[in-house]
Amino acid sequence: MTELISKLRTEIEKLFSEDRIDVFIAFKGADSPLRPQPAFYRAGNDLENLEYNSLCQNNLGNYLTRYPNETRIGMVVRGCESRTVNALLVEKQHLRENLTLIGIPCQGIVDIRKLIKRTGEEITAYSEHQNKVTIKYQEKKHTFAKQDVLHDSCLRCLHPNPVNADFLIGEPLPEGDPSLVREKVETFEALSKDKRYEWFSQEAERCIRCYACREACPMCYCTECFVDHNQPRWTESSITSAGTHAWHIIRAFHQAGRCTSCGACERACPVDIKMTYLTDKLNEDILEIYSFEAGMDGETQPPFAAFNMDDKKRFVV
Amino acid sequence: MMYILEKKKVEQVLSAWNKAFDVYAPQKVENYTQFLPFEKTKTVALNHAHNTRYPPKALFFPQSEIMLKYNSRLGRFEESGSKTKPMLIFGVRPCDAMAFSLMDTVFLSEDYVDPYWKAKREDSIVIGFGCSTPPQTCFCTTVGGAPFSHTGLDAILTDLDKAFSVQVLTNKAENLFKNLPPATEDQINEVKKIQRKATESMAPAFQTSGLKQKLDLIFESPYWETIAESCLGCGICTYLCPTCFCFDIVDEIQRKERIRNWDTCMFRIYSQEASGHNPRPSNKERTRQRLMHKYSYWLDHIGEIGCTGCGRCVCYCPVGLDIRAMLQTASEYESEVARA
Repeated sequence: MTELISKLRTEIEKLFSEDRIDVFIAFKGADSPLRPQPAFYRAGNDLENLEYNSLCQNNLGNYLTRYPNETRIGMVVRGCESRTVNALLVEKQHLRENLTLIGIPCQGIVDIRKLIKRTGEEITAYSEHQNKVTIKYQEKKHTFAKQDVLHDSCLRCLHPNPVNADFLIGEPLPEGDPSLVREKVETFEALSKDKRYEWFSQEAERCIRCYACREACPMCYCTECFVDHNQPRWTESSITSAGTHAWHIIRAFHQAGRCTSCGACERACPVDIKMTYLTDKLNEDILEIYSFEAGMDGETQPPFAAFNMDDKKRFVV
Repeated sequence: MMYILEKKKVEQVLSAWNKAFDVYAPQKVENYTQFLPFEKTKTVALNHAHNTRYPPKALFFPQSEIMLKYNSRLGRFEESGSKTKPMLIFGVRPCDAMAFSLMDTVFLSEDYVDPYWKAKREDSIVIGFGCSTPPQTCFCTTVGGAPFSHTGLDAILTDLDKAFSVQVLTNKAENLFKNLPPATEDQINEVKKIQRKATESMAPAFQTSGLKQKLDLIFESPYWETIAESCLGCGICTYLCPTCFCFDIVDEIQRKERIRNWDTCMFRIYSQEASGHNPRPSNKERTRQRLMHKYSYWLDHIGEIGCTGCGRCVCYCPVGLDIRAMLQTASEYESEVARA
């Protein structure tokens, strides 16, 4: 057990013994070495299988909306998760006083697919130490620099430190470099209109409409998603280009000013569709036009949800 | 009869078949493989230990299939056109071929024959590709299959490094391979050794005897809440599943088409009734349905498990839920209840 996990464990035990929480959401070691699972601990539960490493690929903020406001939730939060929690608090999805957030400055999530690409699918063991990742593939050990196998969203991460944690485990990390985000957006923007459309179509049209991106996204919590609405139907539900294009465009648009760039959508996608190039561009626009970044605090409304009687443009009010 | 097909000749052979058949083979897409028309890239990706990510069931049961087109000038529905050539699918893993046979019991049953499935399936030829090194997520032997099972196949390939051996299983396939050189005695023994080793390498993943009875017994137990707690409710496990066959029919009014789309019990809208009531209101009921269908209801219907152990749901679940562990825990959970 790493030092971090044992510290985390002590803190969780303390929260339960002081009766400050009803449930603690973290990760547990699972059957596959590559996929730690979200775990939900309650008072008296054994914390033996508690896990925390760079393979913990889900955004735990996703589970917040499943509980009533009254449930006292404890949670592990990394940079993006903590901003997700804020974004959800702004949207009144829980009460801050009923949340206890244990922050961990995040060194990034390892993209399993990047590991598989370097070796093959049959990875049987995983370990990490500082900036190195070691895996076992076909009885041989392979070591990689963590930086080379991090998920793209994590490579571009601006705020690795939790912004609203009640306490931190580990030392804060330096903030990310905004030019790295710009780089990706620029690559896409630099293309001609036709090429951009071709890129988008190639990505969107692989879609199998499983909606894993939606379900993995903490900000997609509508009881009824627009694609599920059938009276009237807003979009085609088939895998035609009309259907898949509409899904990917509208999904991204609904995230404007709400997406915290965690990349959970891309990590969940079973057919490797790139999606963050759209949300990153929207995030950039929101920052440039409205000086707003989603989830930096738990009070400021995102621009498209805000309403101001003094608004200079009379479009809404 | 066993023949030898050199790997470097595979593409040439498939090109030749392409005249009489619509040939499909696994091809590389992004970081995975998928069955696509051979003529698309004229290459075959059979060098992956893992199966194709997208299941070949889609060849007989496309994810979105036009059933009828509306001719507004004549004011009537018309059939959506028909195929011209039979389909030949090259490189199907035995678990997926077994799944074709299971799906036949749904779409070609005594009571109802699905014309869309039948038209594509009845004169098709399925050439299998056995698994010499079954990946750790596979569990075909636990659910009645084998890495070199013959079910649903017309021929099966075994990887002999520079060539494939071809065991011909039906007369249809005999005609395709009869011009190839026959395997030598040594090669036949080598194939037997590979096949035996592969089967022996697969330990039982969970206990299947009595599993159905146990699942039926714990239908109302809180066990399902523990699974549902982390389940995202996406459609990956069911859409990548080679045996899931649920569909939804919609009219695309603008394009004047009636389309049949895959649907999944994992979606809220799947069981949502017009009144607003949903008999499977949460992930708990929906995950339970998925497991119960495969490991209980299929047994009620045809006496077989509706899972072929391909392991796709294990590999690609975004929260790492593993059906093998879920079933193992379920059987143990029952024991606890029974003791209490």
